[in-house]
Amino acid sequence: MRQLANWLRRKRLENGLDRELRYHLDRRISDLEGSGVPSREARRQAMLEFGGIGQIQEEVRDIWLTRWLRDFAYDLRFSLRSFLRTPSFTITAVISLMLGIGATTAIYSLVDQVLLHGLPVRQPQRLVLIDWQGDQVAKGFGSWNLMSYPICRDLDERKDLFEGVFCRALTTVNLSTGGDYRPATAEIVSGNYFSVLGVGASIGRVFAIDDDGVPDANPVAVLSYDYWQMELGGAPDVLGRKVLVNRHPLTIIGVAASTFKGIDVGEVPSVWIPASMSGQAIPGFKDLLDRRTRWMQVLGRLNQGVTLERAEIGLQPWFRAMLQEDVRRAGFPVTTPERRWDFLNSSIVLTAAPQGHSALRRRLLEPLWVVFAVTAVLLGLACLNVSGLFLARGSTRDREIGTRLALGASRGRLGRQLLADSLLIALTGGFLGIATAPIAVRALIAFLPAGTAPTALHAGVDFRLLLFAFVVSVAAGLLSGLAPAWQAGRRSLMSSLRERSGTAFGGVRLRKAIVTAQIALTLTLAVGAALFLRTLHALMAKGPGFTTSSLISFGIDPLRSGYPTEEGNRLIRRVDEAIRESPITQTSAIARFPLLTGGSWNNQMTVLADKRVSTDRDVNLNAVTPDFFQTMGIRIIAGRNFDERDVRAPGESGWRSAIVNEAFAKRYLGDRNPLGVLVCQGSGPDAKPNIEIVGVMSNFSYRGLREESEQVYFPFFEGEGAGGTFYVKVRGTPQSSLASLRAIVHGADPSLPMTDFRTVDEQVDRSLNTEHLLATLSGTFSTLALLLSLVGLYGVMSFVVTQRAHEIGIRLALGAMPWSAVWLVLRDASAMILSGMGIGLPLVWALGRFVQSQLYDVKPSDPAVIAITVLVLSSAGLGAALIPAHRASRVNPTDALRAE
Amino acid sequence: MPSSKFPIPQGTLDMLIMQIVSLEPAHGYGIAQRLDQISRSVVQANQGSLYPALHRLELKGWLRGEWKQSETGREARFYSLTASGRRQLVAEKHSWARLASAVQLIFSEGAES
Repeated sequence: MRQLANWLRRKRLENGLDRELRYHLDRRISDLEGSGVPSREARRQAMLEFGGIGQIQEEVRDIWLTRWLRDFAYDLRFSLRSFLRTPSFTITAVISLMLGIGATTAIYSLVDQVLLHGLPVRQPQRLVLIDWQGDQVAKGFGSWNLMSYPICRDLDERKDLFEGVFCRALTTVNLSTGGDYRPATAEIVSGNYFSVLGVGASIGRVFAIDDDGVPDANPVAVLSYDYWQMELGGAPDVLGRKVLVNRHPLTIIGVAASTFKGIDVGEVPSVWIPASMSGQAIPGFKDLLDRRTRWMQVLGRLNQGVTLERAEIGLQPWFRAMLQEDVRRAGFPVTTPERRWDFLNSSIVLTAAPQGHSALRRRLLEPLWVVFAVTAVLLGLACLNVSGLFLARGSTRDREIGTRLALGASRGRLGRQLLADSLLIALTGGFLGIATAPIAVRALIAFLPAGTAPTALHAGVDFRLLLFAFVVSVAAGLLSGLAPAWQAGRRSLMSSLRERSGTAFGGVRLRKAIVTAQIALTLTLAVGAALFLRTLHALMAKGPGFTTSSLISFGIDPLRSGYPTEEGNRLIRRVDEAIRESPITQTSAIARFPLLTGGSWNNQMTVLADKRVSTDRDVNLNAVTPDFFQTMGIRIIAGRNFDERDVRAPGESGWRSAIVNEAFAKRYLGDRNPLGVLVCQGSGPDAKPNIEIVGVMSNFSYRGLREESEQVYFPFFEGEGAGGTFYVKVRGTPQSSLASLRAIVHGADPSLPMTDFRTVDEQVDRSLNTEHLLATLSGTFSTLALLLSLVGLYGVMSFVVTQRAHEIGIRLALGAMPWSAVWLVLRDASAMILSGMGIGLPLVWALGRFVQSQLYDVKPSDPAVIAITVLVLSSAGLGAALIPAHRASRVNPTDALRAE
Repeated sequence: MPSSKFPIPQGTLDMLIMQIVSLEPAHGYGIAQRLDQISRSVVQANQGSLYPALHRLELKGWLRGEWKQSETGREARFYSLTASGRRQLVAEKHSWARLASAVQLIFSEGAES
């Protein structure tokens, strides 16, 4: 360490040593002169006594820096000088590695944040996700790994296995701290959430068990640090103030620790609300204590020393007993023997959850790894490219290296020199890569699924990222230095001194091998890119099944603004009428649940036609106004639209009629006429089919563009609930209509927030975010890869032509036709391209299954895609070889022979 | 009769240097003079070879070098013993004494027999 410091101040050390030695000699000379020795003789004697100054300086320098460090420093300096002498080589190599390292680092930043990073809580490695495997015979809402609140409380009793078990659910609330209501993410949590996670408060306190006691009796809330800073300016007097959640006042008891952003990397809560207040956070929710309502994720912290396996085994007997008890409990739904059997054979499953629970991670897991693999391949290609460049440069440096060998430099020393070369290039590339990575990360974040919290991910460079980039740079340096060092090690001293042209043939074989590998890797990337592009194109061509032009959507939810159900419905009617009367509107409709957001309202159904059948999977449900079909351009294929006949009689509840889509009719009714068939929600024996199918609509997408699902739609105003998404077809451009729509809603209730206010075209785009991500990145990267390999191919072939100019000249002089010289070069190039393909195609075949799940309407081994890619690649490769080939045919025999 | 001067082994030179500067801080030339005075006819140190030793001891943290005005008025680099250098000197003297007495013991045994 001290030696490194010495390196930095070596100028001063040198000066000091100089002065010190000079002082010694001067003193000695003057002493000798003092004793009567003549001045010249005194100088001679002093020098003699002292010994060789140069040698002593060297010895001292060795002490300061140690030998290898000095050598390495000299190597670096030498490398730097020779790089500065060949700027075009240096720039090409540095840019290659900068692209590779920058891209890899940027993607790794996302991989790290979304997939790898542990929660900023105490010992995250002891956290587990607890999930139910089997049929819970329960209704529910939310997505992934859901259980009921009472089960969480039961699990928390098992102190022999868990330090604690908590549960949480995300929801959106209308939040106000005095000003406008704004939609905000809230996390509903059990009282022990913070204590089990080991997260404290920045100010005030976090929840205690008592805050989650009696339902509706604990009006308290904890704010997130970001919300406190951004919305309240970090005011220290927030404690004890009220925050309004869906118009219910909750007292702020604290602000959570600044590093803690909830346990879902994609959703950053603004506020935490105790489960006892879930009725306020989710309007109309009354099932907190119902064992058969699944809506929360349950996580636990294992006791010190308890393994995941032991906890899982330890839970089963208790779980089985609980199942038996549950079946006998009053209120357990009447159900079929099969479902009951499924229920009793359920088990409880634990998975390690050091990163918490995240829907975003689930969605991005595969795409991110695919993209990361693609960048890794790109980086490999960049390294190969630099290797090739070094080899090319090496062959012009043969004379220098041969001379150094002849002067007694060891091969190890020369190898180190080459290593210093490639490390210097790689670290420079890495430095530039890190400098550009934040820009790339910011661009990448824009591709993340819609609804990801804007503060969820950051584009900054932290220590982990720096470390990653450094390791990658060093690895890239070693990798690109490997081939040249190997080549240098094999070179024989005699031959390199004997060769007059200063070139060696051995390097060409290695360079050809490198180009072949590059072509193979490029082929895999290009096929991948073609597949993802096909997927995106196919999905866009297919479209959602309804007309999206001039269509604007937005949601309102009066219940969250404190309206009772009936008044909420009246408000929606008022807004609906105002929109219809507006001059900007062509047609307008309302749907209970928005389309293309990834979610849906779904349930199993019972169908009563000739016989009674239950659906074998969930059916997607929605409720819409009669204008929905015209507004969206969805055809009614048979039967009729909703009308006044569907309005239920006073005193009656539930729907009287439904419209099903073609897929539903086909799957459950086959050839039978669906009109008049009775259906209902649920699949138990107690389900009573009393809703008549009055129409059949064409198929269209509900959750997302990939899905082809069975759907059943009900009339909007006849059901429960009071939120809705408006779909408005406007005259003129959508942009100019946004303000008018906002004014209409504002006129109905100034404090009512509008959510997801955007054109439906934009919504379609957003729903294809992952596909856009894969297609854009793999497209860009494979273009880069193609460029890199073309440069490599061109470089090798030019070199070959230069080397063989003499031979070609003789051939031409002896009467060979110029085209035979062209052929000579193209034959070489074709051999490389073909063997590259030969290696690449099995790779493509082997890697195909990893991307299968990301594709739509195309197989990984699609012959057309592969054929086109191969064709494009080969013609580009031959194109790159044509330039040197052309040069070969123009070799002037006289010049070539004279050069000899 | 062998030459009256023989080269100083490296470890011994280090010890001698530390002993000299332990009395008072000294510059390189001063140390060379002292070495010469103490052991004029016995040991021969190529005067220059003093400097690698000084810098090695400084790097080890046993000596500290500072530029100070010398007796002639010119700036010279003065070396003084650090605390860890003092400990090192004690340890080395101790082991030197043990080695010397052991050697002496063997020699005197040889003389008796």
